Amino acid sequence: MTSNLMRKEQPMRTKLTAFILLGTLLSVGLLAKDEGKKVENFTLEDYSGVKHSLTDYGKSKAIVLMFIATQCPVSNAYNARMVDLYNDYSKKGVSFVAINSNKQESVEEIKNHAKEHGFQFPVLKDWKNVFADSLQASVTPEIYVLNSNFEILYHGRIDDSQRQSRVKSSDLRAALDNILGGKPVTVVTTKAFGCTIKRVK
Amino acid sequence: MRRFASIVSLLAIAAVLSGCSRNGGREGRPESAAEIGPAGNETRRVDGLDGAGLKRLIADRGGRILFLNVWATWCVPCVEEFPDIVKLSRSYDPKAVEVVAISADYPDEVDSKIIPFLKKQNVPFKVYVAKFDDRGKFINAVDTSWSGALPATFIYDTQGQQRFKLVGQGNYDRFKQQIDKLRGTP
Repeated sequence: MTSNLMRKEQPMRTKLTAFILLGTLLSVGLLAKDEGKKVENFTLEDYSGVKHSLTDYGKSKAIVLMFIATQCPVSNAYNARMVDLYNDYSKKGVSFVAINSNKQESVEEIKNHAKEHGFQFPVLKDWKNVFADSLQASVTPEIYVLNSNFEILYHGRIDDSQRQSRVKSSDLRAALDNILGGKPVTVVTTKAFGCTIKRVK
Repeated sequence: MRRFASIVSLLAIAAVLSGCSRNGGREGRPESAAEIGPAGNETRRVDGLDGAGLKRLIADRGGRILFLNVWATWCVPCVEEFPDIVKLSRSYDPKAVEVVAISADYPDEVDSKIIPFLKKQNVPFKVYVAKFDDRGKFINAVDTSWSGALPATFIYDTQGQQRFKLVGQGNYDRFKQQIDKLRGTP
């Protein structure tokens, strides 16, 4: 009787364990579609006409790709935070590259915006949103963190609130701290409201 | 004199208590209310919508199609698109097509931003404000494949199944075509 019960319970327990494991994996985002996906090399020009390729950043401990906009209020709410992130992590071997894929935002506008907000990192113009399409980036601000093999380790938001005073979860910082500490990224995918990247149709 | 003072005190306490119960933050209570509408006689409520409320909204079809638009006052294409949604809502019997908008502004911006916008647009349909601790959870509760880019529009059939999704700015014709296709009345 007991052995019968055990036989019945075992598959049940296995299913339960699998369910709990699946739930845990989902909750920390380990099954996210982007994790580990390799980003193909690209070459884009910054607002000064200087070409940047992803391979230029191959020696970095991590590469932070930031899809940003000049006109999006959400992206603009993060200008100072992007500067802070650059100041805090570039000296630790992290590279920051911003990308503007919005069709209506000109190189001149991007240049003025970057200077106005003190961006020390390059801002590249993604003409015809080719790079945004290849990554399926759709919103600003949207972040991809890559390792030196150009594999995606984190994808999503900078943090959980447009209002800096209400931030409870600094997701990008947490991911970078994980990477610099030689640990797996705990939460690899996050989401937030933002502006749609205006694409060339 | 002392009895009079006691009565006044009791009345004051009762008034405060009744005010508290009217405005108390119970689940499902409106975030705020204001007068809008063509004749100014319609009470506009913008309720907070949490996960359970969102699930109920999508499931509670009662034979109606659901047109769901997520927008924000800071989102330029959302603002540009909104008059088309107002026009769309006036094109259908609310018993056949329920039009609902959910604002991604913050719940504490209902009075300062959302209601003034709705008044200006003369919005005849129900509008909520997303009320989630983590806004990523709201995005996933609507659609796990949605990035959170605004505006975003979802159309559900009478069984509550999502049949159309558009992330980015749409227009009256495009939305109407999708609804008519679903209704089988081109």
